[in-house]
Amino acid sequence: MNCRDWEERLALYAGDDLAPAERAAVERHLGECAGCQVFLSGLKAGIDTLREAHEDGPSEAHLAAVRARVLADLRHRRRSRAWAWAVATVAAVLLLLVAVRPGRKEAPPVPVVAVSRPPAPVEIERPRPRQPVRRVRHVVARNRVRTPLLASPPPNEPAEPLVVKLITDDPDVVIYLISGGKGEPK
Amino acid sequence: MRTLAFLAMAGAINGQDGRVGVIEAAKAGDLAAFEQLIRQYERMVLVTALRLLGRLEDAQDVSQEVFLKLYRNLGKVEASGSLSGWLYRVTVNVCHDLRRRRPDTVAVEDAGELASPDADPQQRTAAAERRRALELSLRLLSEKERAALVLRDLEGLSTEEVARVLGSSEATVRSQISKARVKVKGFVERYFRRRV
Repeated sequence: MNCRDWEERLALYAGDDLAPAERAAVERHLGECAGCQVFLSGLKAGIDTLREAHEDGPSEAHLAAVRARVLADLRHRRRSRAWAWAVATVAAVLLLLVAVRPGRKEAPPVPVVAVSRPPAPVEIERPRPRQPVRRVRHVVARNRVRTPLLASPPPNEPAEPLVVKLITDDPDVVIYLISGGKGEPK
Repeated sequence: MRTLAFLAMAGAINGQDGRVGVIEAAKAGDLAAFEQLIRQYERMVLVTALRLLGRLEDAQDVSQEVFLKLYRNLGKVEASGSLSGWLYRVTVNVCHDLRRRRPDTVAVEDAGELASPDADPQQRTAAAERRRALELSLRLLSEKERAALVLRDLEGLSTEEVARVLGSSEATVRSQISKARVKVKGFVERYFRRRV
């Protein structure tokens, strides 16, 4: 057998990676081959050189730098997660408050009713026949009707509209009930 | 309370029970416990990454990523039973990923940075020469040969453990190791013959 064929086994032998049977075969060959003995010592020297160099690892400062980075990263993630939870909690509470407002299901307080009879408008337009397509105009027309109700009445208008003003607890909310000339609410 | 429990068992961290306790505490969110785990394995991870990549800066990036992965996977690690095996496997994989992202990640300039400041100049030079030989010889190897050699000859894992870490068969690992040793032998002889 050529000595080159022994190289792989010698390399494994140098690192004690052979099974006992192969190991014995290599040792028999080494006993009669000076070239392979030299080759083996070169292999061992190479491994020893690498191991010695490997002993000089990174300094404590290099290790501490990595450790600090890892811990800082984890603390940052933890803070971010805490913020996310806080925001989510506040949002959930707000949504809950909006959905279940405390005063919403309670019976509304009895409004104070004040009845007044404003002067009749100068001219009341008759509401146009309903045209679903032109709904916006209809609303505008109705609004136009209301405004003149507060104007001074014509002298000979027989049926003045009755306006009922409901004053609620909320100062911004005032409800008007307006009845037409024949007593029908408009 | 968790911290107190951790302190009570910190003295026994080298034992299996202590380590499991520290992992439990870290899993529960105790950063002090996790720092203890880092301290125990940081040298192993950083050195392995440095040997696989050849550049300290990249090795530090890899170490950071490995420990963040560890934090996220503490449950799996505990179940796997071998923390160091898990760390080696993840380190090799993260190095492989980094190498794909940064193909030019091979450098020797960090050899000088690692020299011990206490050594006298002659010793420092000899140590620097050895480190340079180590770095350059590892560069000669294929990625798989390098990983096998680093884990077997430098980190001292058994062939079976190396095979498990690399996800290969023992026969494959043995073949990679023997080729790597022959290449290193040739390089080291040439390197020091040139310098004598």
